[in-house]
Amino acid sequence: MTAETERALTGHLAEDVEAVVRELGDSCDLVVRELTGKEEGEPEAAVVYMKTMVDEETVMRSILDPLMDELDRLGMEEPGDAFRRVHKDILRIGTVNERTKLNEVLCSILDGDTVVLIAGKAGALAASTIGGESRAVEEPTSQTVTRGPKESFTENLQTNVSLVRRRIRSPLLRVEAFKLGRHTQTNACMIYMQNIAQPKVVQEFRQRLGKIDVDSILDSGYVEELIQDATWTSFPTLQNTERPDAACGAVMEGKVLLIVDGTPFALLAPVTFISFFQSSEDYYQRYDISTFLRILRFCAFFISMFLPSLYIAITTFHQEMLPTPLLISLAAQREGVPFPAILEALLMEITFEVLREAGVRMPRVIGPAISIVGALVLGQAAVQAGLVSAAMIIVVSFTAISNFVIPALNMAIAARLLRFGMMILGGTLGLFGIMSGMMILLIHLVSLRSFGISYMTPFSPIVWPNLKDTLVRVPWWLMKKRPALISNPRQAVRNASGQRPSPRRKKRP
Amino acid sequence: MQVTSRYQLAAAVFLFQLGSSPMFLLAGPAGRDAWIGVLIGFAAGLLLLVAVMLPIHRIEPEMNLIEVSRRYFGPWFGSLLSFSYVLYFIYQAVRNFREFSDWVILYLLPSTPLLFILAVLMFISSYAVWHGVEVFFRLTELLCPWIVLMYAALFASILASHLIHPELLEPVLEHGIRPVVAAALPEVISFPFGEMVLFLMFWKFAGASHRVSRATLLAYLSAATLLFAANVLIVSVLGPFADVSVIPLMQITSMVQIGEAIERLDPVVLLLLFVGVFIKQTAYFMAAVLSLSELLRIRFRFAIGPVGVMIYLGALAFRSYMQQVRIGFKLNVVYHFPIFQIALPILILAVMLIRSPGTPKIRRADDGGIR
Repeated sequence: MTAETERALTGHLAEDVEAVVRELGDSCDLVVRELTGKEEGEPEAAVVYMKTMVDEETVMRSILDPLMDELDRLGMEEPGDAFRRVHKDILRIGTVNERTKLNEVLCSILDGDTVVLIAGKAGALAASTIGGESRAVEEPTSQTVTRGPKESFTENLQTNVSLVRRRIRSPLLRVEAFKLGRHTQTNACMIYMQNIAQPKVVQEFRQRLGKIDVDSILDSGYVEELIQDATWTSFPTLQNTERPDAACGAVMEGKVLLIVDGTPFALLAPVTFISFFQSSEDYYQRYDISTFLRILRFCAFFISMFLPSLYIAITTFHQEMLPTPLLISLAAQREGVPFPAILEALLMEITFEVLREAGVRMPRVIGPAISIVGALVLGQAAVQAGLVSAAMIIVVSFTAISNFVIPALNMAIAARLLRFGMMILGGTLGLFGIMSGMMILLIHLVSLRSFGISYMTPFSPIVWPNLKDTLVRVPWWLMKKRPALISNPRQAVRNASGQRPSPRRKKRP
Repeated sequence: MQVTSRYQLAAAVFLFQLGSSPMFLLAGPAGRDAWIGVLIGFAAGLLLLVAVMLPIHRIEPEMNLIEVSRRYFGPWFGSLLSFSYVLYFIYQAVRNFREFSDWVILYLLPSTPLLFILAVLMFISSYAVWHGVEVFFRLTELLCPWIVLMYAALFASILASHLIHPELLEPVLEHGIRPVVAAALPEVISFPFGEMVLFLMFWKFAGASHRVSRATLLAYLSAATLLFAANVLIVSVLGPFADVSVIPLMQITSMVQIGEAIERLDPVVLLLLFVGVFIKQTAYFMAAVLSLSELLRIRFRFAIGPVGVMIYLGALAFRSYMQQVRIGFKLNVVYHFPIFQIALPILILAVMLIRSPGTPKIRRADDGGIR
């Protein structure tokens, strides 16, 4: 905005209205309604709003209607009294703020407020009338569960905050507003439990958000890249979720939630490596199956990162490690294949990545066509033509399927990318290369931090109480304490003791 | 200054003590009585640890070896002493680097040049050292439970394959105790029990000294137990051939067969070997970088380059694996390592006890030496 807009309102109605219209570039969706009393002459008041940002029904019923009824009487009063009466008495809107500067008025209009100007008074009233179309609350598309809430965040900030509020009806839930992006002026809300979250983390979060000075924030992904701890890594140091229940669960563990207007993906911090292998469903299903599934996901993560490289390394360098019948069968399959294993694997992996990307980008109607092409032409036909071995197809497809098991897409992506590095290491240095790569990866992982928390917590540093909710999930009544380090130690106790259900309650000692 | 927890210290001591040692027959010349040799070496190492190394730390819990020697020996002699330890750490790192590269060539990649394998190892270790002491100790903490699990699985599968013949351990002490003691002292102290001298560089990072002692001793005992078990296992499976094999545990593993399904566990041994040697070489690398940066008063990360180059060139200097083994196990462990692991620590402790801090002379040395 120009320096011109820094000035205060003049109090001269026509001049102020004209300034607003000029600054907004005579926009076609700007509505300026000048109200004149029964007697002809200068208008008494003006109502200004963006018709694309407000709920016009509300504007008409709660602002224009009462204002028009009272207009004649307002004309008689002193401008100051009239202004006060409009503010206190006439406008039937919950949130009405006084604005004195031109740029404040502009911001309010762009935020979906309706601005009321009174002749002779150097000030304006901004009534919150935000409206406009938004999607209804629907089922989550990327983080689905079989049991548990089926609601998902939407693009509307108000709706999203209300989805959280309705789940945590505590007076200690704090919602702090931020405006991000010089031009987009995107609203964002930082949500945390005042007693549970670590004050240090909240302060750090606030500071990092405050430092953001870019011209646009169109998705929480922008924010994530601007506030994350490590850039040169494929591992995410912030979690995103579109599930209000998962977000609330995290908030109740002491994490900080950031909802950005315009996207259904909210951000969570601080996070640890293991939290990307946990689905909110783990807490809704029985603990035994949850534990089993968590271990399964962890194995799947390793498979999706290491299987192709192990296959390459063993078939190229260390055939002696295979049991003899398997070795013979593999050798027979590979007999007619013209490429070395590493090239064969890279070829198939890239083919699969192309198929996967095509599946995301192509129009929905031609979806089935792609699966036919993918499954039949590239799978079976490639083997029959002798271009790749059947074993390689099995390896590549199992790797791909394993990758989809990981609940957090951004962690799955890390495995998906690192896989290629591992394949090259396996193809050049065999098992030694893979071990080296794994060691580099482990060193990298233990060096990462997310908002001051070690990424590999609670495995390194070992935090015994936190191990209850990592690869295993113990029943709820056993999780008496909140995860240490993430939550405020002064509010560590989460569940009362003696919650274990039993037919006859034992006497408490 | 505390940057590591006692779990991390314990994990580091444990993995460092293990290193690659369970793969080999310690006190090999004692033949079937090697396990007694391990016990003797363990007892002597424990004495050294409790009576010499830990007291040095307890007197000056805030100082590492370099600071201690500067403070108590004055700037000139102290620097000389420190420099000798820099060389010792570098040489130990060189041995580990070279030894491991040779095994990789022997077992995994017969046609890959040594230069290249050394470079890869150097890169991984430098990466760990670059991240500093805290990350390295956290890495050991992360690896420790998996290593224990893998050893347990390996030993269990060896037990389950009916390979163990306890009668191979008999008769006990056929030629009396003398050859066993001769095989154990000082070889088994030098490798691996006396190598604890390295932790004089790291203990100061672990906080309160009574906790340091407890964690260290606990890890030392656990590591010794595992080494002892491995030793008994190797002799009772391979018998008289144990001392001939290059990597005895690898040979045993290749004999494992349970049902038709579980066989060829060699990759497990390789992984254990890799992690063990990696931890050891990186610990020495880290100690060398720490001590050199302390000695020359340069930033920690600036010292990585020179130390890395020295280790790399040093590892290439051995003409062959055989030469490396000969120098290491016939000369170093008998003549050279005891100087750094036994003689110098005892000297340092003696001087520390005689020159109690507070005399004006010491304070002057302190001003010149530390700031």
